[in-house]
Amino acid sequence: MIEKDKKNLEFATIFGDASNSQSKDKDHIVQSSTFRLILSFINLYALITIVLFFLVKGNLVGGVNTNFIEQGFLYVLNARAIILLILLIFLNVSAYYNYGFKYACLFLIVYMLNSAIDNAVLFSGFMHLSDRPYLSAFTITRPLFIISLFWVMIIHKNKFKSN
Amino acid sequence: MYRGFELTIIFWVAMSITYAFCFSALYAYVTLPEHLLDPNNTAKIKATLRLSTIRLVIVSLALIAYPIVFLKFFKYAKYVTVALTSWATTIYIDDYFVLERIVEYPDSGLISLVQLSRPIIILSLIWMSFELIFRSQTEV
Repeated sequence: MIEKDKKNLEFATIFGDASNSQSKDKDHIVQSSTFRLILSFINLYALITIVLFFLVKGNLVGGVNTNFIEQGFLYVLNARAIILLILLIFLNVSAYYNYGFKYACLFLIVYMLNSAIDNAVLFSGFMHLSDRPYLSAFTITRPLFIISLFWVMIIHKNKFKSN
Repeated sequence: MYRGFELTIIFWVAMSITYAFCFSALYAYVTLPEHLLDPNNTAKIKATLRLSTIRLVIVSLALIAYPIVFLKFFKYAKYVTVALTSWATTIYIDDYFVLERIVEYPDSGLISLVQLSRPIIILSLIWMSFELIFRSQTEV
Protein backbone atom coordinates (compact mmCIF):
# COMPACT_ATOMS: atom_id res chain seq x y z
CA MET A 1 0.00 0.00 0.00
CA ILE A 2 2.83 2.31 0.97
CA GLU A 3 4.66 1.31 -2.25
CA LYS A 4 1.57 2.15 -4.34
CA ASP A 5 1.21 5.58 -2.75
CA LYS A 6 4.88 6.22 -3.36
CA LYS A 7 4.49 5.30 -7.05
CA ASN A 8 1.46 7.56 -7.39
CA LEU A 9 3.44 10.38 -5.83
CA GLU A 10 6.30 9.79 -8.27
CA PHE A 11 3.96 9.80 -11.28
CA ALA A 12 2.21 12.92 -9.99
CA THR A 13 5.61 14.61 -9.64
CA ILE A 14 6.69 13.57 -13.15
CA PHE A 15 3.43 14.47 -14.90
CA GLY A 16 2.61 17.44 -12.72
CA ASP A 17 4.59 19.81 -14.89
CA ALA A 18 2.82 18.62 -18.00
CA SER A 19 -0.67 19.16 -16.67
CA ASN A 20 -3.01 21.71 -18.25
CA SER A 21 -2.78 24.11 -15.38
CA GLN A 22 1.00 24.30 -15.35
CA SER A 23 1.95 23.91 -19.01
CA LYS A 24 3.01 27.24 -20.48
CA ASP A 25 2.27 25.83 -23.91
CA LYS A 26 -1.41 25.54 -23.08
CA ASP A 27 -1.65 28.91 -21.42
CA HIS A 28 -4.25 30.26 -23.79
CA ILE A 29 -8.00 29.92 -24.09
CA VAL A 30 -9.39 27.85 -26.92
CA GLN A 31 -12.72 29.24 -28.07
CA SER A 32 -15.45 26.88 -29.19
CA SER A 33 -15.97 26.09 -32.86
CA THR A 34 -19.38 27.81 -32.69
CA PHE A 35 -17.62 30.98 -31.57
CA ARG A 36 -15.14 30.80 -34.45
CA LEU A 37 -17.91 30.10 -36.93
CA ILE A 38 -20.05 33.04 -35.80
CA LEU A 39 -17.05 35.37 -35.67
CA SER A 40 -16.19 34.37 -39.24
CA PHE A 41 -19.77 35.08 -40.28
CA ILE A 42 -19.64 38.52 -38.62
CA ASN A 43 -16.39 39.35 -40.41
CA LEU A 44 -17.68 38.10 -43.73
CA TYR A 45 -20.98 39.94 -43.41
CA ALA A 46 -19.35 43.24 -42.45
CA LEU A 47 -16.68 42.98 -45.15
CA ILE A 48 -19.23 42.18 -47.87
CA THR A 49 -21.31 45.18 -46.71
CA ILE A 50 -18.29 47.47 -46.87
CA VAL A 51 -17.13 46.15 -50.27
CA LEU A 52 -20.65 46.42 -51.66
CA PHE A 53 -20.92 49.99 -50.48
CA PHE A 54 -17.70 50.93 -52.23
CA LEU A 55 -18.94 49.21 -55.40
CA VAL A 56 -22.19 51.21 -55.25
CA LYS A 57 -20.25 54.39 -54.53
CA GLY A 58 -17.99 53.81 -57.51
CA ASN A 59 -21.07 53.13 -59.67
CA LEU A 60 -19.74 49.67 -60.47
CA VAL A 61 -23.05 47.83 -59.99
CA GLY A 62 -26.25 48.39 -61.90
CA GLY A 63 -29.83 48.72 -60.68
CA VAL A 64 -29.22 51.52 -58.16
CA ASN A 65 -31.30 54.67 -58.45
CA THR A 66 -28.96 57.56 -59.21
CA ASN A 67 -31.11 59.99 -57.18
CA PHE A 68 -30.27 57.93 -54.16
CA ILE A 69 -26.58 58.38 -54.89
CA GLU A 70 -26.96 62.15 -55.15
CA GLN A 71 -28.77 62.51 -51.86
CA GLY A 72 -27.02 62.97 -48.54
CA PHE A 73 -27.49 59.30 -47.81
CA LEU A 74 -24.32 58.44 -49.72
CA TYR A 75 -22.18 60.62 -47.46
CA VAL A 76 -23.75 58.93 -44.41
CA LEU A 77 -23.08 55.48 -45.84
CA ASN A 78 -19.49 56.43 -46.60
CA ALA A 79 -18.82 57.50 -43.00
CA ARG A 80 -20.68 54.47 -41.62
CA ALA A 81 -18.66 52.06 -43.78
CA ILE A 82 -15.38 53.52 -42.51
CA ILE A 83 -16.50 53.45 -38.86
CA LEU A 84 -17.76 49.87 -39.26
CA LEU A 85 -14.37 48.86 -40.68
CA ILE A 86 -12.54 50.47 -37.73
CA LEU A 87 -14.85 48.78 -35.21
CA LEU A 88 -14.42 45.44 -36.97
CA ILE A 89 -10.63 45.79 -36.68
CA PHE A 90 -11.00 46.53 -32.95
CA LEU A 91 -13.28 43.51 -32.54
CA ASN A 92 -10.77 41.19 -34.19
CA VAL A 93 -7.82 42.59 -32.27
CA SER A 94 -9.69 42.16 -28.98
CA ALA A 95 -10.62 38.59 -30.00
CA TYR A 96 -7.00 37.82 -30.88
CA TYR A 97 -5.59 39.16 -27.63
CA ASN A 98 -8.65 37.98 -25.71
CA TYR A 99 -8.99 41.30 -23.97
CA GLY A 100 -12.16 43.36 -23.76
CA PHE A 101 -13.93 41.30 -26.43
CA LYS A 102 -17.33 41.45 -24.74
CA TYR A 103 -17.11 45.25 -24.51
CA ALA A 104 -16.01 45.57 -28.14
CA CYS A 105 -19.01 43.44 -29.10
CA LEU A 106 -21.33 45.55 -26.97
CA PHE A 107 -20.00 48.72 -28.64
CA LEU A 108 -20.58 47.26 -32.10
CA ILE A 109 -24.11 46.13 -31.17
CA VAL A 110 -24.97 49.60 -29.87
CA TYR A 111 -23.43 51.20 -32.95
CA MET A 112 -25.42 48.99 -35.33
CA LEU A 113 -28.68 49.54 -33.44
CA ASN A 114 -28.14 53.28 -33.36
CA SER A 115 -27.39 53.48 -37.08
CA ALA A 116 -30.53 51.42 -37.79
CA ILE A 117 -32.62 53.85 -35.70
CA ASP A 118 -30.99 56.88 -37.38
CA ASN A 119 -31.65 55.52 -40.85
CA ALA A 120 -35.25 54.68 -39.98
CA VAL A 121 -35.89 58.15 -38.54
CA LEU A 122 -34.04 60.25 -41.11
CA PHE A 123 -34.34 58.39 -44.40
CA SER A 124 -37.49 56.28 -44.19
CA GLY A 125 -39.59 59.09 -45.72
CA PHE A 126 -37.87 59.34 -49.08
CA MET A 127 -35.97 56.11 -49.41
CA HIS A 128 -37.46 52.99 -50.94
CA LEU A 129 -35.95 49.54 -50.72
CA SER A 130 -36.05 49.24 -54.53
CA ASP A 131 -33.75 52.28 -54.88
CA ARG A 132 -30.89 50.33 -53.47
CA PRO A 133 -31.64 46.61 -53.80
CA TYR A 134 -28.17 45.38 -52.85
CA LEU A 135 -27.81 47.55 -49.78
CA SER A 136 -31.44 46.90 -48.79
CA ALA A 137 -30.64 43.21 -48.53
CA PHE A 138 -28.14 44.08 -45.82
CA THR A 139 -30.49 46.52 -44.12
CA ILE A 140 -33.16 43.82 -43.91
CA THR A 141 -30.74 41.21 -42.59
CA ARG A 142 -29.17 43.56 -40.05
CA PRO A 143 -31.05 41.89 -37.12
CA LEU A 144 -29.21 38.69 -38.03
CA PHE A 145 -25.89 40.51 -37.69
CA ILE A 146 -26.91 41.98 -34.33
CA ILE A 147 -28.10 38.58 -33.06
CA SER A 148 -24.77 37.05 -34.14
CA LEU A 149 -22.86 39.73 -32.26
CA PHE A 150 -24.97 39.16 -29.18
CA TRP A 151 -24.49 35.41 -29.42
CA VAL A 152 -20.72 35.65 -29.86
CA MET A 153 -20.58 38.02 -26.86
CA ILE A 154 -22.40 35.49 -24.68
CA ILE A 155 -20.39 32.39 -25.66
CA HIS A 156 -16.99 34.11 -25.54
CA LYS A 157 -14.73 32.61 -22.86
CA ASN A 158 -12.46 35.21 -21.32
CA LYS A 159 -10.92 33.02 -18.60
CA PHE A 160 -10.23 29.41 -17.70
CA LYS A 161 -13.06 27.51 -16.05
CA SER A 162 -10.76 26.60 -13.18
CA ASN A 163 -10.20 30.32 -12.47
CA MET B 1 -14.94 54.93 -0.73
CA TYR B 2 -18.67 54.57 -0.41
CA ARG B 3 -19.28 51.65 1.91
CA GLY B 4 -22.34 50.08 0.22
CA PHE B 5 -20.91 49.55 -3.27
CA GLU B 6 -17.20 50.17 -2.59
CA LEU B 7 -17.08 52.83 -5.32
CA THR B 8 -15.01 56.01 -5.26
CA ILE B 9 -16.40 59.49 -4.76
CA ILE B 10 -15.37 60.32 -8.35
CA PHE B 11 -17.79 57.66 -9.58
CA TRP B 12 -20.71 59.28 -7.78
CA VAL B 13 -19.65 62.73 -9.00
CA ALA B 14 -19.48 61.40 -12.59
CA MET B 15 -22.91 59.80 -12.16
CA SER B 16 -24.37 63.04 -10.79
CA ILE B 17 -22.92 65.03 -13.73
CA THR B 18 -24.42 62.53 -16.17
CA TYR B 19 -27.84 62.70 -14.53
CA ALA B 20 -27.72 66.51 -14.40
CA PHE B 21 -26.83 66.61 -18.10
CA CYS B 22 -29.63 64.24 -19.06
CA PHE B 23 -32.22 66.22 -17.11
CA SER B 24 -30.91 69.47 -18.66
CA ALA B 25 -31.20 67.95 -22.15
CA LEU B 26 -34.76 66.81 -21.41
CA TYR B 27 -35.67 70.25 -20.04
CA ALA B 28 -34.07 72.02 -23.02
CA TYR B 29 -36.08 70.04 -25.56
CA VAL B 30 -39.35 70.10 -23.61
CA THR B 31 -39.18 73.90 -23.26
CA LEU B 32 -38.08 74.50 -26.84
CA PRO B 33 -38.95 78.04 -28.09
CA GLU B 34 -42.07 78.24 -30.28
CA HIS B 35 -40.32 79.72 -33.32
CA LEU B 36 -38.11 76.63 -33.61
CA LEU B 37 -41.21 74.47 -34.05
CA ASP B 38 -42.32 76.56 -37.04
CA PRO B 39 -43.22 74.33 -40.03
CA ASN B 40 -41.23 76.64 -42.33
CA ASN B 41 -38.10 75.72 -40.47
CA THR B 42 -35.21 74.20 -42.36
CA ALA B 43 -35.29 70.50 -43.15
CA LYS B 44 -32.09 70.02 -41.18
CA ILE B 45 -33.60 71.32 -37.93
CA LYS B 46 -36.76 69.28 -38.48
CA ALA B 47 -34.70 66.11 -38.97
CA THR B 48 -32.68 66.96 -35.86
CA LEU B 49 -35.78 67.47 -33.76
CA ARG B 50 -37.23 64.17 -35.00
CA LEU B 51 -34.03 62.37 -34.15
CA SER B 52 -33.70 64.14 -30.79
CA THR B 53 -37.21 63.05 -29.80
CA ILE B 54 -36.29 59.39 -30.30
CA ARG B 55 -33.01 59.85 -28.45
CA LEU B 56 -34.69 61.61 -25.53
CA VAL B 57 -37.16 58.74 -25.18
CA ILE B 58 -34.16 56.37 -24.90
CA VAL B 59 -32.49 58.74 -22.41
CA SER B 60 -35.67 58.82 -20.29
CA LEU B 61 -35.86 55.03 -20.26
CA ALA B 62 -32.18 54.82 -19.32
CA LEU B 63 -32.64 57.33 -16.50
CA ILE B 64 -35.39 55.17 -15.04
CA ALA B 65 -33.78 51.78 -15.69
CA TYR B 66 -30.23 52.55 -14.56
CA PRO B 67 -30.94 52.93 -10.80
CA ILE B 68 -32.99 49.71 -10.91
CA VAL B 69 -30.12 47.80 -12.55
CA PHE B 70 -27.65 49.40 -10.16
CA LEU B 71 -29.57 48.48 -7.02
CA LYS B 72 -31.10 45.14 -8.01
CA PHE B 73 -28.70 43.66 -10.59
CA PHE B 74 -25.37 45.24 -9.72
CA LYS B 75 -23.52 42.38 -11.45
CA TYR B 76 -24.80 43.61 -14.82
CA ALA B 77 -24.37 47.34 -14.09
CA LYS B 78 -21.00 47.41 -15.86
CA TYR B 79 -22.52 46.06 -19.08
CA VAL B 80 -25.36 48.59 -18.95
CA THR B 81 -22.86 51.39 -18.25
CA VAL B 82 -20.62 50.29 -21.13
CA ALA B 83 -23.67 50.10 -23.42
CA LEU B 84 -24.76 53.62 -22.44
CA THR B 85 -21.19 54.91 -22.87
CA SER B 86 -21.06 53.29 -26.30
CA TRP B 87 -24.35 54.89 -27.22
CA ALA B 88 -23.30 58.36 -26.01
CA THR B 89 -20.04 58.04 -27.98
CA THR B 90 -21.82 56.68 -31.03
CA ILE B 91 -24.37 59.48 -31.23
CA TYR B 92 -21.59 62.04 -30.74
CA ILE B 93 -19.56 60.50 -33.59
CA ASP B 94 -22.75 60.28 -35.67
CA ASP B 95 -23.66 63.93 -35.17
CA TYR B 96 -20.24 65.35 -35.93
CA PHE B 97 -18.79 62.92 -38.49
CA VAL B 98 -21.66 61.02 -40.10
CA LEU B 99 -24.78 63.19 -40.03
CA GLU B 100 -23.08 66.59 -40.13
CA ARG B 101 -24.73 67.45 -43.49
CA ILE B 102 -28.14 66.25 -42.40
CA VAL B 103 -28.66 67.45 -38.82
CA GLU B 104 -28.39 70.95 -37.40
CA TYR B 105 -29.13 71.70 -33.77
CA PRO B 106 -31.36 74.72 -33.07
CA ASP B 107 -29.53 77.86 -32.01
CA SER B 108 -31.04 78.10 -28.55
CA GLY B 109 -29.05 78.99 -25.40
CA LEU B 110 -29.63 75.86 -23.35
CA ILE B 111 -29.41 73.49 -26.34
CA SER B 112 -26.03 74.98 -27.30
CA LEU B 113 -24.85 74.51 -23.72
CA VAL B 114 -26.05 70.89 -23.75
CA GLN B 115 -24.23 70.28 -27.04
CA LEU B 116 -21.02 71.80 -25.71
CA SER B 117 -21.06 69.67 -22.58
CA ARG B 118 -21.47 66.35 -24.41
CA PRO B 119 -17.74 65.44 -24.26
CA ILE B 120 -17.82 65.91 -20.47
CA ILE B 121 -20.69 63.42 -20.23
CA ILE B 122 -18.84 60.92 -22.39
CA LEU B 123 -15.78 61.27 -20.15
CA SER B 124 -17.95 60.81 -17.04
CA LEU B 125 -19.51 57.68 -18.50
CA ILE B 126 -16.10 56.32 -19.52
CA TRP B 127 -14.89 56.83 -15.95
CA MET B 128 -17.95 55.02 -14.59
CA SER B 129 -17.43 52.12 -17.02
CA PHE B 130 -13.74 51.77 -16.19
CA GLU B 131 -14.39 51.83 -12.49
CA LEU B 132 -17.13 49.21 -12.68
CA ILE B 133 -15.06 46.94 -14.98
CA PHE B 134 -11.84 47.10 -12.97
CA ARG B 135 -13.68 46.90 -9.68
CA SER B 136 -15.21 43.56 -10.76
CA GLN B 137 -11.82 42.31 -11.97
CA THR B 138 -10.11 43.02 -8.66
CA GLU B 139 -12.93 41.31 -6.81
CA VAL B 140 -12.28 37.94 -8.56
